[in-house]
Amino acid sequence: MRVAARAAAASAAKNRRVPLIVTRDLRKVFRSAKRFPGAMGALRGLFSPVYEDRVAVAGVSMEIERGELIGYIGPNGAGKSTTIKMLTGILVPSGGEVEVAGIVPHRKRRENARNIGVVFGQRTQLYWDLPLIDSFELLRAIYGIPHDRYRRSLDAFVELLEMGDFLRTPVRQLSLGQRMRGDFAAAMLHEPPILYLDEPTIGLDVVAKEAIRTFVERVNRENATTVILTTHDLADVERLCRRIVLIDHGRTIFDGPIDRIKNEYGRERTLVVRFTEATSAPAIPGARLEGVEGSTARFVFDRASQRVDRLVREVSDRYSVEDIAIEEPELEGIIRHIYTQGYAGEERSA
Amino acid sequence: MTPFTPYIEYARKAFAREATYRIELIAEIGSLVLRVYLLRSLWTALYTHNVAPMGLPLHSMITYTTVALLMSLVLEVDGTRVIREKLREGGIAVDLMKPIVVPFAYFSDGIGQTLVHAAAILPSLLFALLLVHIDVPSLPVIAIFFCSFALGYGVNFFVNFLMNGVAFWTLETFGLQLIVRWISDLLSGQILPLSFFPGWFGRAVFALPFAAIYSTPLLIYVGIIPPAKWGAALAVQAAWLAATTGASYLLWRAASRRVVVQGG
Repeated sequence: MRVAARAAAASAAKNRRVPLIVTRDLRKVFRSAKRFPGAMGALRGLFSPVYEDRVAVAGVSMEIERGELIGYIGPNGAGKSTTIKMLTGILVPSGGEVEVAGIVPHRKRRENARNIGVVFGQRTQLYWDLPLIDSFELLRAIYGIPHDRYRRSLDAFVELLEMGDFLRTPVRQLSLGQRMRGDFAAAMLHEPPILYLDEPTIGLDVVAKEAIRTFVERVNRENATTVILTTHDLADVERLCRRIVLIDHGRTIFDGPIDRIKNEYGRERTLVVRFTEATSAPAIPGARLEGVEGSTARFVFDRASQRVDRLVREVSDRYSVEDIAIEEPELEGIIRHIYTQGYAGEERSA
Repeated sequence: MTPFTPYIEYARKAFAREATYRIELIAEIGSLVLRVYLLRSLWTALYTHNVAPMGLPLHSMITYTTVALLMSLVLEVDGTRVIREKLREGGIAVDLMKPIVVPFAYFSDGIGQTLVHAAAILPSLLFALLLVHIDVPSLPVIAIFFCSFALGYGVNFFVNFLMNGVAFWTLETFGLQLIVRWISDLLSGQILPLSFFPGWFGRAVFALPFAAIYSTPLLIYVGIIPPAKWGAALAVQAAWLAATTGASYLLWRAASRRVVVQGG
């Protein structure tokens, strides 16, 4: 009866196309006692405390649809983790609204917890001293996963993440890559519709990173799991996300497709020319010489005002050229530029 | 699956986890047997120079200290230290992201840890019996002793919970714990029967929650609390259990409102 009602409610929600995750002007201010230096300072703090407010999230509004895979990025201290903690219900917002799958997370923390899976790259939820499988058994009990379903999803994860060899090894003996795979399986065992990933590839080697990315991609594609990925590794974002939300100083400064941020910022291209012999101070009209190294020169040009074919013609007319390549700007360079110079896009878009 | 399934599983995993530290457990038994021997020597020496205080003969005194040491195997397990550790390392965030009542999970974890250490009681007792003689009271006394012990376990658990819960505000509780542990060792009757304390102080120590931990069950065991007063003694323990549980509940409520997870 209740299940039917819930299914009806879910389909009604789908018809109204309510986004899965909604925040409106979400804020979090941390208040802490100011510390004064020295013993007298400590005493002073004890008797007449002075409080300092630190605004961690200053009004974040976003809507995330079911099945999206978004990159939630920003410099250290931008308010990413604080936002995620409010979405998981373990931090109470100071203002604004938040709703995840129709639930206000901090009001119904436990109900919300059933809908989410969380992976922290810097912290494990696995039992350190026990074989990996023990942590999965505990999760089976916590989420009340029926036996056959547990068997089925565990088997699937063991195969997908190649965990067969170390399922019975104590977690403390696992390599970081193995442990991370265990943490992913642990977060997904109850098949949550939402997955929060906090720096999931930190410290991993290229092979392990790729395994994790492939896994996230598959989970997103095949189960329509909504994924919010917080990371400093922009290669993760570039490989997985179509949309990014960029925050700084607790505010959203960009929210949209990666292509757009690339177009807005990535108007410059680099023409890399290798000459047959070392050439001093080569020049092409319409392009700026960035640097020369041996017989290779790098020219920067504006893609909007200069045509590539003309530049290539010019350079091959003037010099004896062995090889030419055009480099597109990487997301990392663009983001670095925004962190240091600020965002100057047309507007804060929703 | 019942609502208790997750918590039973937490206790089982805690048991499995603690059981991986076998060497530590063996060392614990060894140190306990050594302490039984030392205290026997101490009390024997003290008794040869003094008249038995409060009419407690030497064999009762040795029984008291030995049973107290065996109880300490279980009571010195600080099951709620996970709170402190998880607060410092941020693991509490992971627990709060699960559909569980977090204090229940920690309580179950504490039970699991306790059971591992309880397994050390029997071998410790056998070794201790090689060194000392312990009085064995009648069956009803033993039954009441275990009831009283269980209540004392509860009080001890929540006193520890309150202490570790202070970490929500201070993150570090080492100093506080040192003080409380020191006071508790002395005033709980673990080392010395509380009836030894004279005058108003002697009466005051019985009014503290610590007395409910070791003193009441032990005084029942050695017969200083007669059957006529069992009911009152257990009622006082139950009252302390209710008070510490209530205080723990309030502390948790206040704490969870201000969960400031480290490394935000």
